[in-house]
Amino acid sequence: MQVFKLCMKIIRKNKAAMLVYVLVFLGIAILISRITAQHPVTSAFSTAKANVAFFTEENTPLVTGIKQELSKSSNFVKIEDNTEALQDALYFRQVTYIVRIPKGFTDKIMNGEKATLERTTVPDSVYGTYIDMKINRYLNMASLYVNSVPGISQEKLVSDLKDDMGKSALVTMTSAKKANDSEKPFTAYYFNFLAYVLPAVLIFGISIVMQIMNEKDRRSRTFCSPISPKSYNAQLIFSIGFLAVACWAVLILPCAVLDPSHFFQQSTWYLVLNSFVFLLASLGLGFLISIFVQGMSAVSALANICTLGPCFIAGVFVPQAFLGSTVLKVASFTPTYWFVKVNDTLASTTHFSYDVLSPVYGDILIELAFAAAFFAVGLAGSKRKRLET
Amino acid sequence: MVISINNLVKRYGDLVALDHLSLEVQEGEILGLLGPNGSGKTTAINCILSLLKYDKGEIRVFDRPMAPDAYDIKRNIGVVMQNVAVFNELTVQENINYFCGLYVPEKEKRKQYVEEAIDFVGLGEFRKFYPKKLSGGLLRRLNIACGIAHHPKLIILDEPTVAVDPQSRNNILEGIERLNREGATVVYTSHYMEEVEQICSRVVILDKGRIIANGNKEELKNMISLGERITVETSVLSTGLLSALKNMPGVETAEYDGKQLVIKSAKGKNTLENTLDFLKKENIAYGRIYSEMPTLNDVFLQLTGTELRD
Repeated sequence: MQVFKLCMKIIRKNKAAMLVYVLVFLGIAILISRITAQHPVTSAFSTAKANVAFFTEENTPLVTGIKQELSKSSNFVKIEDNTEALQDALYFRQVTYIVRIPKGFTDKIMNGEKATLERTTVPDSVYGTYIDMKINRYLNMASLYVNSVPGISQEKLVSDLKDDMGKSALVTMTSAKKANDSEKPFTAYYFNFLAYVLPAVLIFGISIVMQIMNEKDRRSRTFCSPISPKSYNAQLIFSIGFLAVACWAVLILPCAVLDPSHFFQQSTWYLVLNSFVFLLASLGLGFLISIFVQGMSAVSALANICTLGPCFIAGVFVPQAFLGSTVLKVASFTPTYWFVKVNDTLASTTHFSYDVLSPVYGDILIELAFAAAFFAVGLAGSKRKRLET
Repeated sequence: MVISINNLVKRYGDLVALDHLSLEVQEGEILGLLGPNGSGKTTAINCILSLLKYDKGEIRVFDRPMAPDAYDIKRNIGVVMQNVAVFNELTVQENINYFCGLYVPEKEKRKQYVEEAIDFVGLGEFRKFYPKKLSGGLLRRLNIACGIAHHPKLIILDEPTVAVDPQSRNNILEGIERLNREGATVVYTSHYMEEVEQICSRVVILDKGRIIANGNKEELKNMISLGERITVETSVLSTGLLSALKNMPGVETAEYDGKQLVIKSAKGKNTLENTLDFLKKENIAYGRIYSEMPTLNDVFLQLTGTELRD
C-alpha cells in the first residue's frame, strides 16, 4: 500500500488548501442557504390589500363591523371629501376604491329593506371586484341574519357576522406535491449548494494527487519497481475514492447539525443518495480535468468554469423556475441540472411512492450516465497519453 | 550474464533509435555507455527496464526474458534516472522509504536499508529536509539513494552527475565504485568522459543507435590511428616552419593558433624528441611543452566525428 500511503501524504500535505476551499464554500453555502430560507421564493397565494377611501355619514356598530371586515383586505387612505380630490385620488391610483355609507343605511339593513352603498372604483380593477365581493358577502349575510332572527340587535349581528366571516375550511391535500413551496427547508437549499462545493473541492484534490503521481519521471521511476500497473492504479483510485467520500461526509454532516429537524426525515435520505450519485459525477469530472489539464493554475481556472458556470444556469443560485427554457436546455447537458432538479422535486414532495420517485430515479440515472461518460473519456485520454509517452 | 541484448531495434516513426543493438553485461563489471545526444543511450536503458516497447530483438536480464511484468527481475534492479524523480511532499527519509518500499515490503528490513542508504549518500543531517530545500548536488544524492536503497544486484545510472558540483560528483563516483565492490553490476551512462575513464571497466560507444566501439579503455585507445599529442606554447612560428613540422616523420597533424602548437603523432610513433630537436635547431622560443597519450575523448572524436558534449 505504498502508493496509497503516498497519496494520503500528498493529500495531508495539501489539506490546508482543500480545507480553505471547504470552509469558504461551506460558509458561503450556509450564509446563502440561510438567507434564501428566510426569504423564500414563493409561488403560493397570499392576499394583497387594496387602497380604499372609506366615508360614512352615520356611526353605528354595523358600520364599524363593515369597516373592520374591510380592513382585512384593505388599507384605508385618508382623502379630502370633495369630488375633485376623490377623482384625482382615483386617477393617480392613490386609491382604487371609494365607499360611502349614506345616512339611514343601518336602519334599512336592520329593517330588512334593500340598502345600497355608494361605490366608486377604477374601471376593470381586480381590487374593485374583490372589495365588491367582500361587501356584498357581508351585507347578504347581514340580511340573512336579520330575516332569520327577528329582533336581533346590531351588536349581536356584528358579532355573529365577525365569527362567520372569520371561519375557514380545513383542507387536507392528498397530492404528493407540497401545497406551498415556501415550506422548502434549509436542508433542501443546502444540498443544492453542494453542486458548487463538491466538484470544486474534488477537482482540486484529484488534480493535485494525479498531477504529482503521474508526473512522467516519477511514474517511470515507479514502474521500474516490481509494482504492477493494476496495483498502482487500484491504490490511486482507492485513495481518490477515500478523499471523495471524506469530502462528501465533511460537507454533508454540518447539515445535520444546522437543520436536525429536517435532516432525519425520509426526503433527506433521498437527497443524500442524490448527492452521492452527484459525487460520482464530480469525481469523473475531476478525473477528466486532471488527465487533460496540466498545471494547477489551469486546473483552478477550469474548475471555476466547470463548477460556477453550471450553478448559474442549472438552478443553484437562481431557481430553475425563473430560468428560461433555452438556458435550462443548455444546463441539461451538465450533471448539476439533474442534481438540482432531483433536489427540487424531493424538496416539494411529501409522499414517496413509486409514481413520484420513478422520474427521480430516471434523473439520478442520467447523473450516473454523466459520471460514466466522464470516466470513459478520462480513461481513453489517459491511455492515449500513456501511449504517446 | 546480467544483461544480454540481442539485435534490438526501436523506431520512433521513421527515426531508428536503436539499430540492431547487441550488448552483453557481465556480472561485477561497471559498463560505461557513451554516446552523443540522441545516440540511443536512454532509449536502450528504457528498453532494458521495459519502460519502452521495442520493435525487434530480445532482452534478457539475469538470464531471463525481461518484460513489464517480470517483477522478480525488477526486484533486483536499481534505477537512477537522468531527471531527479522524487516527491516534494516527502522528506529525504520518506522519499527513500517510499521507493525502497516498492521493493521491500518488510518494515523492519526496510528501515535498516533506508538508514544504510542515507549513510551511503551522506544525507544524514538532511533526513528531515524536503527536496525543495536541497541543493542540486544533494538532490542528485537523494535520487541515487532512492535507486539503490533496496540493495539491487544490477544498478542502472543514467547520467547521475548532470549539474552536480565537483565535490558531490566525486562522492557519487566513489559511491558507485563502492557499490560495485560490494557486488553490484553497474551500467553507467554519462556525458563526462573523465568519469567514465575513472570508474568504468568497459566502455561501449553508441552512435545513431549502433555500437561503434566496445572494449576496455586501452582497447578503445588502440582502435584509433592517433598516438601521443604534443602541445607547445609558443608565439613565434612561421607558416614555413609549420609546414616543415608537418613533414616530420611520425607526425599525423600539426596545428598552430598563434599561441599554441599541437602536434598529433601517428599511432605507435613517439615524436617528442624530434620536436624538441626541431625547436632548438630553428631557435624557436617556447614556454611550456607537454605530451599526452590519447584520451577517450580523442577516441570518441575520431569514431563519431563529434565532441561528446556537442
